[in-house]
Amino acid sequence: MNDPVDSFMNFDLISRYPGLVKKDQRTGYSGYIVEADCLVQFARAVRDELGFDYLSMITAADYYPDDLMDVIYLLYRTTGGPGILFKVQVSRLDSKVPSLSSIFAGAELQEREVWDMYGISFEDHPDLRRILLWDGFEGHPLRKDWKEPLFEEDSKPYKDRWPAGKHKRQEDLNPFKNNVSYPIGFEPEHFSSNNEKALYDALNKTSGNLNGSLKTDQIIVNLGPQHPSTHGVFRMAALLEGETIIDLKPVMGYLHRSHEKIGERNTFLQNMPYTDRLDYISSMSNNFGYALAVEKLMAVTPPERAEYIRVIMAELTRISSHIMTTGFLLNELGAMFTPSLYALEERELILDIFEEVSGSRMMCNYFRFGGVVRDISDSVIEKIRKLVFNRLPRKIDELDRYLTHNEIVRLRTEGVGVLTADEAAAYSAGGPLLRASGVPYDVRKAEPYSIYDRFKFDVAVRYHGDIYDRYLVRLDEMRQSIRIIQQAIHDIPSGPVMTGKSQYQPKVPAGEAYGRVEGPKGELGFYIVSDGKQNPRRYHVRAPSFINLTALSEMSKGEKVADVIAILGSIDIILGEVDR
Amino acid sequence: MITGILFFDVMAVLVISTSIGMLVSRNAVYSALFLVLNFASVAVLYVTLGAPFIAMAQVTVYAGAIMILFLFVIMLLGAERLEGESTIRGQRLFGGLLAVILLGELTWMAVFQSGLSPAALTMPASDFAGPTQIGLTLFNTYLLPFEVTSFILLVAIIGAIILTKTDNIGKRIIRPGKD
Amino acid sequence: MDAALIWEWIIKSVVILLVMTGGFAYVTLYERRVLARMQVRIGPNRVGWQGLLQPVADGIKLIFKEELTPVGADRLIFILAPVITVIPALIVTAVVPWGTEVNLFGRIVPLRLADINVAVLYILSVTSISVYGITLAGWSSNNKYAMLGGLRATAQMISYELALGMAFVGPILWTGSMSLGDIVSAQKNLWFVVIMPLGFIIYVIASLAEVNRSPFDMPEAEQELTAGYHTEYSGMKFALFFMAEYIKMIGVSMIGATLFLGGYQGPFVDAYPWLGPIYLFIKVALWLFFMIWVRATLPRFRYDRLMAFGWKVLLPLSLLYIVVTAVLRLLVGG
Repeated sequence: MNDPVDSFMNFDLISRYPGLVKKDQRTGYSGYIVEADCLVQFARAVRDELGFDYLSMITAADYYPDDLMDVIYLLYRTTGGPGILFKVQVSRLDSKVPSLSSIFAGAELQEREVWDMYGISFEDHPDLRRILLWDGFEGHPLRKDWKEPLFEEDSKPYKDRWPAGKHKRQEDLNPFKNNVSYPIGFEPEHFSSNNEKALYDALNKTSGNLNGSLKTDQIIVNLGPQHPSTHGVFRMAALLEGETIIDLKPVMGYLHRSHEKIGERNTFLQNMPYTDRLDYISSMSNNFGYALAVEKLMAVTPPERAEYIRVIMAELTRISSHIMTTGFLLNELGAMFTPSLYALEERELILDIFEEVSGSRMMCNYFRFGGVVRDISDSVIEKIRKLVFNRLPRKIDELDRYLTHNEIVRLRTEGVGVLTADEAAAYSAGGPLLRASGVPYDVRKAEPYSIYDRFKFDVAVRYHGDIYDRYLVRLDEMRQSIRIIQQAIHDIPSGPVMTGKSQYQPKVPAGEAYGRVEGPKGELGFYIVSDGKQNPRRYHVRAPSFINLTALSEMSKGEKVADVIAILGSIDIILGEVDR
Repeated sequence: MITGILFFDVMAVLVISTSIGMLVSRNAVYSALFLVLNFASVAVLYVTLGAPFIAMAQVTVYAGAIMILFLFVIMLLGAERLEGESTIRGQRLFGGLLAVILLGELTWMAVFQSGLSPAALTMPASDFAGPTQIGLTLFNTYLLPFEVTSFILLVAIIGAIILTKTDNIGKRIIRPGKD
Repeated sequence: MDAALIWEWIIKSVVILLVMTGGFAYVTLYERRVLARMQVRIGPNRVGWQGLLQPVADGIKLIFKEELTPVGADRLIFILAPVITVIPALIVTAVVPWGTEVNLFGRIVPLRLADINVAVLYILSVTSISVYGITLAGWSSNNKYAMLGGLRATAQMISYELALGMAFVGPILWTGSMSLGDIVSAQKNLWFVVIMPLGFIIYVIASLAEVNRSPFDMPEAEQELTAGYHTEYSGMKFALFFMAEYIKMIGVSMIGATLFLGGYQGPFVDAYPWLGPIYLFIKVALWLFFMIWVRATLPRFRYDRLMAFGWKVLLPLSLLYIVVTAVLRLLVGG
C-alpha cells in the first residue's frame, strides 16, 4: 500500500508525535504504528487536518505466540484517493485501546465486533457488548490460542480427511472433550442474558418523552429475530411511543457462522467459495474483492480478458442485486410482491448467465487469483449483449415508470430515514446509502481497481439522503452498470483468462493487504495477513451490510414503525454478510 | 302474544344480567363487553317496540362507536385489571342507598302514577321514532339544544387536539418543489 | 305468519350463508389466480381442474392444523374473537336484494331475505360491530404485534366508518328511502354512480379501509406487524379471520354494487327475473377483481397518513358530497 500522506503533502505525522507514532517496518506491512495513548489525538488530526473523514475499517490481528495484537484502523478521504492505515499494538494479556466512537460514529459496531472476537476492550465505548456471539460464550474466538470444539489442526486440509492410516473422523469422536468450555458459573437452566439486560437498559435510558407535559407509556417491541421483513434472522429492539420510534438498537449474530475463523483455517483458495456465502446474492463481487486482496499479496495481475470478464460479472451482479433490492423495497412498503417478482424475473436472466459461465446460479465461485476459472463463450457474450443493449435498459425504465412517480411510494419514502452527508460519512455508511446522502464516493472512481479507469461512467449521487433517493441512486447505478457492461462487451479482447497455471496451493508471500471493491451494498473489503504459510493468519471481511447498520438507529429515530422496515429495506442488508 | 311476552322476558333477563355482569366484572374489558351486549339487547327491545331506526342507531352509535373507544382506551392504558377495593370510603353503602331510592321512585311511578293499566302499555304509532319523525323533532322543536350540543362537542374536539398535539422529533428535509 | 313463509326465510338464510362461505372459498382462489397473473406467475393450478379444488385442500389443511393458545392469553375472548369477527360479516348482506320476484314451484318468491326500511342503517351497525372481533383478538393474544394491529384496526375502522356512512347518504337522499330494494329500483334507468361519482369514489376508498384491504391493510401489515391482530391465531381460528375478511370483501362489493351500480338491474331483468342475481354476481366479481388489482398494484399507506387522509381529506370530501347531492336533488326536483 503506497503511503498517501508522504506522497500528497508535506505533513510529517511521525515528527509531530515523537516517539508515539512510527512507521510499520515489518516486511510486507505499511502504515503507521500509533501508541494507544495518543490514538484519539492522532485520529482526530488525521481526520481534521489531513481530511481522512471516512473510517473504513477497524479490525484486529493476533500475533500469537508473540504477546502482540494489532488493532488496525483504515481511513479514507470521501474525496477519493488511497487510504491511511494505522495500527495500535496491544499486549494480549492486557488489551485496552481508547475508543474512536466519539470521533467516528461508525466505529461503534466495528469496535464491538473486535471486542467480541479479540477481547480488546475499547475505553469510553458507549455500549461495549458482544455483538455476533452470545454472552454465554467463553473466550474470544479469533485469538489464535482459542480452540473450537472438535479442533484438529491450525490449518486445512485436515489430515483425517486425507487418511494416512487413520480413518476416524474427528466428529465421530467424543465432541465434548477438553476444549469445550463455558463461562465460570454457567448453568444453562438458570442462564439469564446480561447482554439482553444491557440492551433493554440502554434503550430505556433514552426515554425522551415526545409530549413533554403529557405522560405516555413507552413499550419495547422486538422486531425479529423471526420477522417477515428482517431479511433473515435479524432483530431490532425498538422503543416505541405509540407508533413512533424513540430509540432502536440492531441486534445481530443469529446467523454467525465463524466466517473469519474458518477463513483462517482454510487455505487461501479454499476461502474463495466461502466468500460466495457472505452476500449470497452478489457472490461475484465478493469473489472479486477477495481475489484483489490476495493478488496484491501475490503481486500478480490477471490478463486483459480476465479483467474484462471480471468487470462484466461484477456489474451484472450489481444490477441483479439492485433490481432485487428495488423490488423488495416496494415489498417492504406493502406492495405485496408484484414489483419484487417483476424484479426477480430480470435477476433470473442474469443468473442464467452466471450459471452458464460458472456452473452455479448463486454460489458462483468463479474468480481465481490471477484470473477467472474458465473462459466465457461467444454465446454467453451474445446473451449478455442482448441483455444490456435491449432487455435490461427497457426493464429498468419500466420499473422507473411504474414506481418513481407513484404517489404512495413518494409519500412513504420522501423525507423518511434521512441521513445527512456528514452523518453518512461519520457512520461509515457505504454504497447507495452514502451516495444518496450526497457524498459521491464510489470505490470504482475513488481508487479505481481492476480496469475501471478505462470505462466512462458516472457516480450516481443524490442529495436528500432519504429512502426515495436511495431508490433513485440504485436505479441510476443500474443504468451506469449497463453503460460499463456495454463498453466492456465492445472492448473485450481475446486471450488467456488466467495468469500462469492454475494451482490449488498458491504461494502467498508474508505481509498484509487490503483489497476492496465497490460491491452492490457498499465498500466490500478483505483485509488479509499472510505469514507465508498455506493459510492466512488473518482474514477479515469489511462487510458493508454490517457497517451500514451502524446508522440504522440514527435514521430510525422519530420515524414510525412502518418506516423502520422501509429504512432497513433501503439499507439493503444481507444477513449472510452482516453476521458472517 | 304469548311468544311476544316470552321473547320480552328473555330479553329483559338478558338486559338485566348483562348490566349486573358489567358492574361486577373485575376485568374492565369484560365490563365493556357486557355493556356492549347490554346495548345490543336493548336495541332488540327497541325493534320489538317498532322502532328499528332507534335500534340501529343505538347499535351503531353506542355499541359500534362509543364502546369501541372505551375498549380502545382500556387497552391502550393496559387498565383492564382493577386492583384492590374501592378507594372512597363508604362508597358501597352510599351507592346501595341511592339504588334503593331509585327503585322506590320507579315503583311509585309504575304502581301509583300509571296504575299498571293496560292503556299505558299501548303500542306507539307505527311511524313513531322513524327517521322522518326524529329529524323533524330534532330540527324543529329542539333546534337550539341540538346546535348548542354540537357546539360543545366541537369545543371538546378542539381541546382534545390541542392537548395531544406534538411536535415532530424526526428530522425533516425540504425537497425542492414541495412544501 | 304462515309456516311456509318461515320456511322460505330459513331456506333463504341458509342459501345466503352457503353462498357466502362458498364464495369465500372461491374468492381466495380467484384472488390467488388473478394476483399470480398480475405478478407474472401462474398461481395454484394443481388441485383439480385449474386449481378449482384448491380451496377444499386449504380448508382441510386448516382444519387439521394445531390450534395454539399463547401463554397469558385471555382464553375466553381469544376463542370468541374470531367468532365475533365472522358473524357480522355473514349477516351484513341479509338486507341486499338479489333480484325481483321469481315464480318457484307456483309460489311467488321475492329474491331477497329482508327488505327492511332501515337496511342502510343495519349495514352500518353491523359493520360497526365487526370491529370488536379484531380489537379483542389483538387484546387477548398477549402479543405486542397483535395489540398494535388491534389498535390500528380499531382506529382505522372507526375513522373510515364515518366516510362509509356518509357515502350511503347520497343514495338515501336521492331515493328518500333507506331500503336497499327502493334504492335499486330507483336506479332502473340511471345508476347512481353517474349521478354521484364522488360518493362512489368515497365508498370505494372507505370500503377498502373498512375491510382492511391493501393499500389500507395496516392492521395486518405483514412487513411491520408480522400478521397484526391474528399473529397468534392458527388453524380454524385463523381460518375464521380469513373467512371474515373475504366475506366482508364480498359484502362490501355487493353493497357497493347495490348502492351505486344498480344492484341486480340490467337489461331484460324485468322479463327474466333470474337474470337479477346473475347481474349482481357479475358486478360483484368485477368489484372483487378491482380490489385484487389494487392489492397487486399499490404499496401500503403509512398508519398516520391513513388517519390523516381519513379525517382531513375523506371526511370533508364526503360532507361536500352530501351537500352537492342534496342541492342536485332539489334542482332535479324531488
